[in-house]
Amino acid sequence: MDAATHNISRIINTICPFCGVGCGIGLRVEQEKITGVEPLVSHPVSQGKLCAKGWSTAYAVDPIDRITTPLIKENGTFRPASWDEAYRVITEAFSTTIAQQGADALGVIACARATNEDCYAAQKFARAALGTNNIDHCARICHSPSVAGLRQTLGSGAMTNSINDIEKADLIVVFGCDPTENHSVLGGRIIGAKMAGARLLVIDPRKTRLAQMADLHLQLQLGTNIALINGLLQIIFANGWEATEFLNSRCENEAALRARVAEYPPERVAAITGVPEEKLIAAARIYTEAERALLTYGMGITQYTTGTNNVISISNLALVAGQIGREGTGINPLRGQNNVQGACDMGALPNVFPGYQEVAEPASRARFATHWQRPLPERKGLTSLGMTKEALNGNLRCMLIMGEDPVVTDPDQHHVQRALEALDLLVVIELVMTETAAMADVILPAAAFSEKEGTFTNCERRVQRIAPAIPAPGEAKPDWQILGELAGRLGYHGMAWPNAEAIFNEIATLSPLYQGMSYPRLAKNHGLQWPCNEQAPNGTSLLHSKAFSRGKGRLIPVSHAGPAEMPDEAYPLFFTTTRLHFHYGCGSMTRKSPLLERETPNGVLFINPADAQALAIKPQTKVRISSRRGEVETRAVITDEVPPGTVAMPYHFKEAPSNRLTNTAQDPVTKMPELKACAVRVTNLEAECK
Amino acid sequence: MKRFLLDRIDRLRDHLASQRPLFTPQGNDGSAELNWLPLTRETPPTATGRPRLPTCPAKQFFFPEREILFRFDGNDFKETLPKPTPQILFGVRSCDLCAIAYQDRFFQQDPYYQARRRATLLVGIDCQIPCDGGFCPTVDAGPFVRDGMADLVCHQQQDEGWLLMAQSAEGEALLRGLDLKAAETSRIDQRTRAQQQVIARFPPATHIETGIQRINRAEVPAGQWQALGLQCLACSGCTSLCPTCSCFTSYDRPAADGFERERCWDSCLYDAFQREASGHNPSATAGQRVERFWFHKFSDEYAKTFGRYGCTGCGRCEKTCPGVIGVHSVMKSISAAP
Repeated sequence: MDAATHNISRIINTICPFCGVGCGIGLRVEQEKITGVEPLVSHPVSQGKLCAKGWSTAYAVDPIDRITTPLIKENGTFRPASWDEAYRVITEAFSTTIAQQGADALGVIACARATNEDCYAAQKFARAALGTNNIDHCARICHSPSVAGLRQTLGSGAMTNSINDIEKADLIVVFGCDPTENHSVLGGRIIGAKMAGARLLVIDPRKTRLAQMADLHLQLQLGTNIALINGLLQIIFANGWEATEFLNSRCENEAALRARVAEYPPERVAAITGVPEEKLIAAARIYTEAERALLTYGMGITQYTTGTNNVISISNLALVAGQIGREGTGINPLRGQNNVQGACDMGALPNVFPGYQEVAEPASRARFATHWQRPLPERKGLTSLGMTKEALNGNLRCMLIMGEDPVVTDPDQHHVQRALEALDLLVVIELVMTETAAMADVILPAAAFSEKEGTFTNCERRVQRIAPAIPAPGEAKPDWQILGELAGRLGYHGMAWPNAEAIFNEIATLSPLYQGMSYPRLAKNHGLQWPCNEQAPNGTSLLHSKAFSRGKGRLIPVSHAGPAEMPDEAYPLFFTTTRLHFHYGCGSMTRKSPLLERETPNGVLFINPADAQALAIKPQTKVRISSRRGEVETRAVITDEVPPGTVAMPYHFKEAPSNRLTNTAQDPVTKMPELKACAVRVTNLEAECK
Repeated sequence: MKRFLLDRIDRLRDHLASQRPLFTPQGNDGSAELNWLPLTRETPPTATGRPRLPTCPAKQFFFPEREILFRFDGNDFKETLPKPTPQILFGVRSCDLCAIAYQDRFFQQDPYYQARRRATLLVGIDCQIPCDGGFCPTVDAGPFVRDGMADLVCHQQQDEGWLLMAQSAEGEALLRGLDLKAAETSRIDQRTRAQQQVIARFPPATHIETGIQRINRAEVPAGQWQALGLQCLACSGCTSLCPTCSCFTSYDRPAADGFERERCWDSCLYDAFQREASGHNPSATAGQRVERFWFHKFSDEYAKTFGRYGCTGCGRCEKTCPGVIGVHSVMKSISAAP
């Protein structure tokens, strides 16, 4: 670009590509280059605000480092190739594998950063073009337990209320998350509500920003969520603070829950969780006393071997207190990625079609088979971790990964790398050379969010349109188009869509949740919240107001179980993973900003002053962190935001990959790995030098 | 300085646009936003009545968010000084004009800034009604355009029509060919009186006045800055939208034939803004950084250098701050301190 002039030529209103809050941003375009962003003041969620990631969007999609042609690996290095050649290599490998071992030897990973249209195309590609239900995406490692848990208790796994409800609550409960870091604009609205008089209860092992502002902070031990909630329920029932009428009219299975939580008296719970009895009682009191209590939670609930049960216990608490089904209340899982809600809605999961229609149901299979004009596989598909496991067993031979970077973001990095190495063919659709893309045999260049049409669904179920600001660089194109062309080469012609809108219309036809939506309607309303159909033509801001999606709300007794790996003599510290305000996922977008990169250049270990002192660690001391699975080196930051005995690392940095340490022990229901807790040893490397 | 009577402001806009590319605040694609964009056939008429500021000030026209400073191909450095075509910014409000004057001083020696600035003609509009959240009179930045801040100034008169004031020879030259009547001298007195009436309509800003005093007397306890700092998420929104914020950093990035050095907007609310190579940071806590930011906006020390405070009362920081520590929130908090 010539630096001669800097005249703004246009601003394109679209949706921020980072977290699940779904803020409105205008992309400023100068001479066909995105040079900056302007916040959208009329946007219902962000109201003119953005976080550090959003403000840095121009860097995230900068043409520098972009992959602009298909690449084929030869003798360990990539060379540019034509689309035709790349498609031929892929088609041959996929067809051979299907002929030799069947379609279940193939796997597809969709992407929570891609559009609904891309994710819909990915699952249709897996099911109809390849013939396998081996389709998954990174919701597996964020909110799969929310989907599984809340479907059992309420019938729907999404945020029950809307972001605008934050200002309607008189108590906000923030459980196992720090929205001011990960969902900053939403976190800011919690700060605003607190300043306007709402009470704030934070339940988190870390002394987060919101914990420091809170009226009450329960600083529980890692992995003791169920014990804590059962303890609160025991107090509520023992004092008669439950919402009797709500329980009688709208819930079932109360007796079983009462019996189970009776095993959790305050003194026992205080011993397990480390939270003093009086704080437990105070929390139970303010949650049940509040006129409207809005509960929000994050990875501190889901990323455990007990993830699904953790979610169930959150649901138990809200149901018993009657804090659901009204404005300003509810159970509100904060979705991590811009379109992780949409990727789930689209059925980029092994067990469901779009709109959460079960693959196991013959009727829904028949419906999709008719519409897609293809017999559809019945066999249960593999999860993402199932795929890497089967790759090591030789049962999965080829994978197509669309825009995700499991080498950095999935647990036990060595396991993931070995699995990807074992494949006959790894195809990666990407913007830039990620750690995962570097392992690929074929890389296909994708268009970024700023270069295509489509929709994202934010965490409050709001489906919003994005708009292209500039053309894609080189030969890059939208994922859906790549998958459609590849499907055609494989002999399936049901994906030859003319544009993204045609895909959306197909989605609206097949998913009852999206039935009443169309591109013009979405454009007119700043998006629409699902379910949007004949009964709710303007969308739904509040779920479960009269009845739960499954009818009665189901109370399900669950029991405390600690993390799979506890600290011991060899690995004496608890280790947990976190996120930073400045970075997003594997960092492939946010780390392109020189400003965000400057904040924490090589990753960071957070350690309590007491533990730091014991190891003679000073600020910025070089440290090694080791677990049973691997070791990483980084710099220490001393902070009492982590409790003594627990250290924390953000997972964004490939130079200091926290997932070399994490445990693959899994939630039995969802295969969610236990990313939030394992045992490590910290070594002061500068002390060793001396 | 010449004064004219003008019937319709958009007659002036069209006349100017016929001579040079013209930018004016408008909603892109008919949206409810207000951004600086080129005038097109779809641009709606210039709004009168209660003013709304464009989301972003005009600073990116002169001090772009990202700018290549030079290229290096391994042997030679290649100059990338801009050679901008002349352009007009139409409808700049007084607060933003004061901010441009502030940055003119800051970037006095900066050839990149000055090249763009010299190529740009500014057309100001007096604000007849206080805008939402604005407090320009308190910081001597409005509501009417100050002398010498714009090339042309438009003032909507109470009876009817506009008073058009040419404040530079270049501005006056661009009026050639536009059918205008000279305005009587009494119109100037009327304008002065009108400004007093507009000022009287602003809500009281005692929290701003008291806050400024407390900052300059160093009366705000460190604990209070720490509490405010806890609410700072380090998003960079305030510094991005502040019309006087001018901090930048630069970094080298690979280019087609070597390297290029890009400078980009920086933010003093980032931890690493002042962090030194040793790891030492003179503003190590968020509270210190927030304090430093507001000191730069309201300190008498800086007013000496720049001839005014670093705040022009536009209120954009309050609207964009996710942590609710924009100017009104902060000044209310520190003015209420014991």
